[in-house]
Amino acid sequence: MAHVSLSLIEQSLITGILAGGLYGLLALGLSLSWGLLRLVNLGHFAIALLGAYLTWWMGTALGIAPWWAGLMIIAAFFVYGIGLHWVFMRFAVTEMASMLITFAFAVIVESALQFLWTADFRRYETAWGTQSWVIGSLYVPKLSFIAFLVACALAAATWAWLRYTYVGRALRACAEDAPIATAYGINHRALSFLLSGLCAAYAGVAGVFIALIATLAPSQIWAWVGVVFAVVIIGRLGNPLGALMGGVLIGVCEALTMAAVNPSWAPLVSFSVLIALLLFRPRWI
Amino acid sequence: MDLTRDRIRVIAGLIVVAALLLIIPATSVAPYYIAFLYLVFFWISMATSWTILSGFAGYWSFGHAAFFGTGVYCAATLATKFNWPFLWTIPASGLLAAALGTGIGWLVFRLQRLRGELFALITISVTFVVAAIISNTPIDGGSGVYLISVSMPELFGSQPGTIYTLGLFLCALTLIITYGVYRSRMGLGLFAIHDDEDVAEVKGVPTFRYKLGAIALASGLAGAVGSVYSINVSYVTVGETFEITTIMYPVVMSIFGGSRHWLGPALGAIIVTVALYGFPAGPEAALARGGVALGLILVVLLLPEGVMPSLTQLWRRVAPRSLVPVAALPEPLIPPPRAEEAALAAQHAVVLECKDVVKTFGGVQALKGVTLDVRQGEILGLVGPNGSGKSTLINVITGHFRLDRGSINFAGAAIGQLPAHRVARLGIARSYQIPRPFNRLTVLDNVALAASFGDGHGEDDARRMAAHWLGYTGLARKAFDYPPALNLHERKFLELARGLAARPRVLMLDEVLSGLNNTEVDDALNLIRDIRDRGTTIIFVEHLMRAVVALSDRVAVLNGGALIALGDPKEVMNDSEVISVYLGKAHAS
Amino acid sequence: MALGKRLLRCNLLLSLALALGISPALAQAPSGQPIRIGQTLSLTGPFAQTGLAHQIASQIFVERLNRNGGLLGRPVEYVVLDDQSKPDISRTLYERLITADHVDLIQGPYGTAAILAAMSVAQRYHKVFIENTLGQPALAKYEWHFSATIGGPDSTATLPVKVLDAYASTGHPPKNVLIVSSKFPSAEDMAHGMERAAKAHGVEVLGYLEYDVGNRDFSGVAARVKDANADFVFVACLGVEGDQLLEAEKRIDYSPKRHFYLYPSGSMAGDSLADRAVSYSGFEDVEPYISTEEGGAFAKEFDARAQKAGLPYPHVDSQAGNEYAGWQILAAAVKATNSLDDKKIAEWLDKNSVETIEGKRDFSGRSHTSAVDMQQLKQVQNGKWVTIWPLDRRTPGAQLIAP
Repeated sequence: MAHVSLSLIEQSLITGILAGGLYGLLALGLSLSWGLLRLVNLGHFAIALLGAYLTWWMGTALGIAPWWAGLMIIAAFFVYGIGLHWVFMRFAVTEMASMLITFAFAVIVESALQFLWTADFRRYETAWGTQSWVIGSLYVPKLSFIAFLVACALAAATWAWLRYTYVGRALRACAEDAPIATAYGINHRALSFLLSGLCAAYAGVAGVFIALIATLAPSQIWAWVGVVFAVVIIGRLGNPLGALMGGVLIGVCEALTMAAVNPSWAPLVSFSVLIALLLFRPRWI
Repeated sequence: MDLTRDRIRVIAGLIVVAALLLIIPATSVAPYYIAFLYLVFFWISMATSWTILSGFAGYWSFGHAAFFGTGVYCAATLATKFNWPFLWTIPASGLLAAALGTGIGWLVFRLQRLRGELFALITISVTFVVAAIISNTPIDGGSGVYLISVSMPELFGSQPGTIYTLGLFLCALTLIITYGVYRSRMGLGLFAIHDDEDVAEVKGVPTFRYKLGAIALASGLAGAVGSVYSINVSYVTVGETFEITTIMYPVVMSIFGGSRHWLGPALGAIIVTVALYGFPAGPEAALARGGVALGLILVVLLLPEGVMPSLTQLWRRVAPRSLVPVAALPEPLIPPPRAEEAALAAQHAVVLECKDVVKTFGGVQALKGVTLDVRQGEILGLVGPNGSGKSTLINVITGHFRLDRGSINFAGAAIGQLPAHRVARLGIARSYQIPRPFNRLTVLDNVALAASFGDGHGEDDARRMAAHWLGYTGLARKAFDYPPALNLHERKFLELARGLAARPRVLMLDEVLSGLNNTEVDDALNLIRDIRDRGTTIIFVEHLMRAVVALSDRVAVLNGGALIALGDPKEVMNDSEVISVYLGKAHAS
Repeated sequence: MALGKRLLRCNLLLSLALALGISPALAQAPSGQPIRIGQTLSLTGPFAQTGLAHQIASQIFVERLNRNGGLLGRPVEYVVLDDQSKPDISRTLYERLITADHVDLIQGPYGTAAILAAMSVAQRYHKVFIENTLGQPALAKYEWHFSATIGGPDSTATLPVKVLDAYASTGHPPKNVLIVSSKFPSAEDMAHGMERAAKAHGVEVLGYLEYDVGNRDFSGVAARVKDANADFVFVACLGVEGDQLLEAEKRIDYSPKRHFYLYPSGSMAGDSLADRAVSYSGFEDVEPYISTEEGGAFAKEFDARAQKAGLPYPHVDSQAGNEYAGWQILAAAVKATNSLDDKKIAEWLDKNSVETIEGKRDFSGRSHTSAVDMQQLKQVQNGKWVTIWPLDRRTPGAQLIAP
């Protein structure tokens, strides 16, 4: 297309990196439950959006600040995650079946959202929504930057938790070989409940930021599916830091496509990257 | 039970039903019902075609919308930009979609890691990529394509009659093709792929080719269906064509109805279509989607095989006995003896020859140049400590692993680089130490599959021979059970029966005796001798030294991936190196 | 369930109105077999929000009609089915309305795809087909198709010219334009129309950007808009997309010099970022649209019901206005011909004009569209939309503000 200026490229890089933070935040819970619990949870997107709607609703209808709303949502989602895992354990659900069940769950959530708040778009307008920090000629949107920091903090904390604590190592051992881990006295059930609750709580965190940054409509549940799955695969299943880095990679690729080609080609990027990675698997995956 | 007659009856039945449905547009039925039936046909075709690959072979595809959309836009482009007569766009759309499906399959199916959810993921990505390409190129460009000026052939008086007829035709075609696949060798092979693809390949199923065939049929039918859809809506857009529902509904409907039965997806499609579109006014409309979703959750949790199998069972219970076909063991067919093999056995001719076979896994040499002859008609004992390379050698000979260096010759042909199913066809079969039956095929079909693919029989003969081998291994009573219902002893004998049914020239038995008690071991040894006496060469991997010495004509000892001894059982067992390997410590010192 | 409640509410109101005769000053209460008029709307699915606005407009019209004596002395029953935003379902349901439910007359659905699918059914049964949202109404081939849209035969040719003319009237027209379009058919068509108009008028096109429907993040588009720094940014957007773009531009501290939004969200006017944004207009709840009694009553009633239904922007707009006008056209033709016969209605409409809340309408344009583009232009000034073009339809005291 047209001539691409340097400042456009720089601004796009910032945009892409920050967008990657939100991708990473959404990918985190999905990657952990897929990698460590062997459950492909399409419902993750549904509850993230539910969390976003709740944040918006509490903020606009009840006047509750997003961080308080976030705390309540995270606690509630943690409990939901435990309940969900109970169902999966009770019926010994396989990976493919988990995909279908959680898809159906997402459809139910979508219908419920539409029933409660119509199919119309909702926006949570806050004072910070349009504010940025200015560095030279570049602009760093405040909310996206905070989301990015939270994503980094959560990813790093989860990584350290899985790597350095007994519980984390036990979880990874269970994912590799549950029967042997059980033989070594690891309580697989209790741990998997904890992890499932945690994944749902992460969806809640992502939901708060989606409410603040993006526009809400029930059908937006599906808007994130493709790109976040690509992030999860690129970042390697069950790897929290990978999820974040995958998010940044995809975010930057998309932003550069928007800058250099045309914004409408951006959705193609994540899927092409995903297909290429699956076909010609490089070492790190 | 005559399978051929059975098959003709079902296909004739389908054609009669389709012909009866063809009369409807000519009757005074309100055209609404005709239009609604078209919708039902549309979804039956979509769900049923999806199941050919995804239900039968277990490769869940979320790419059906991509194939459907390819058909939609192929028809729209040909009809509007190239002024093709509309009817010709139907096969063209089918062929283009089939080509796309085959191309994707050709890339993806050779990679073993792209199974299960990764295959699902790659297919959904393909859907989005196809949508993005159509949307960003002149194929659509974002404005949609108008087909209002495309003239429609009037097949049966009116336009809805035409669309109805075309929909009905494609629906009947889809069902007949799906039934044909379901009842064919290919169907059996696809089911085996679903249960255990590696074993299927080793049993002689050309898995790659079958998967390609299945995806070509599935995508081609979806493409043809898309062509009729385009003229039905007369204006196509990327947003509507590649909607999330187009991606998911075929999956949902098939799972709902039962994706391992040829009629299951049709049943699911009827239920879901009526639930979604049958009540467009009132509270039902808004609830329908949620209701279908809830129904799906319940079906997946409570009836993992879908509604259809439960219905069949119910029918068996309530229907008058005369209407329920009795599952009877087919008349056993004894395979003809092979005279030439007996002759070769008399000469002790070399049948299998491994030369300097090397196999490496990520830098670790599992086989360090093994050279070994196997003679016609002998029982060769293959022993060695854990990790010595016995299983790797078997896997290399059967073609499951490609060998890295060296060569393997079997009956005069180099088989080292052949895919496993070709090796199986040539006459090498194996059993698994831990039995790996196809859990969702009956015991009879498990054995029939081996006879069909290993020995190249048609399905009827294969089942009759399977009946023979079940009798031979004492499993006749269990013919219509499913493997999970068998005990370990029976599962071992099922492994053996599957190996025998392929009528191999070389049968490799991987620790068939482990886990059996003394009497069972003696039974098994007698059976193995009997097999050899009928002309089959046996390679016998075993830990139990008593059995090895008692049974083997020669013994080969592997250690650390190298052959350290070969010869008469008693001599080999007294060899000092062999002893040190088996007594560990001594060897270390 | 929401739909059920609405239907119930609608029926209750209807029967209440029927039972009480509502206001004695109005015409005689209708009696006899109701006249049934059927329509499908996207009450669920991606277009559900717009479908709801259309439904409210239809209900308001039918209730008012029944209060005023119905049609031909008979009450009117509004039969609405949910097409789930899918054209193939819409087609099937029109089939049902006509052949199974045996409605007397039909109204067109919402959305180009659904309209084209439904029109083929109407054509087959020779039903008069009045639609109010067809993207390119001149493409309609059916002789009894009548368009209640106000853009004339080809608004993709006329509207962009109108916009350029309006800016030219300020004395310092834009020298260049950046076109931004949603990958939504009618938006794309208009964006291409702008490209052609700009070239014809010697306005340089700096770029043509497209983004996907449902685009999550507008930072990338905003960065391109800022980079191009055009005199005029023409945004062929749908609803909230325009607000998202403005916010993303604000985050990188940019505000366009002149900007146009094709289908802005209702709430855009209240956004300080949208100051001086221009759009087209057919009906608003401001002067001059509400100067007639019916227009004013409709605007008031619509706003109240939209509020109650929880629409985020509870104000009437041209979507609802067009729908209402479509019903006015049908009702006028039935009254004038004193008949439910589609042939008579079509013949009458072909020759006559109808007074609607959006002005006097005839169908002398190609494919029974209005002969001229009747759209006005509006601009956000001090947080409100005011009409600024053509000069004789301006909101009193308002004029186009441009740098």
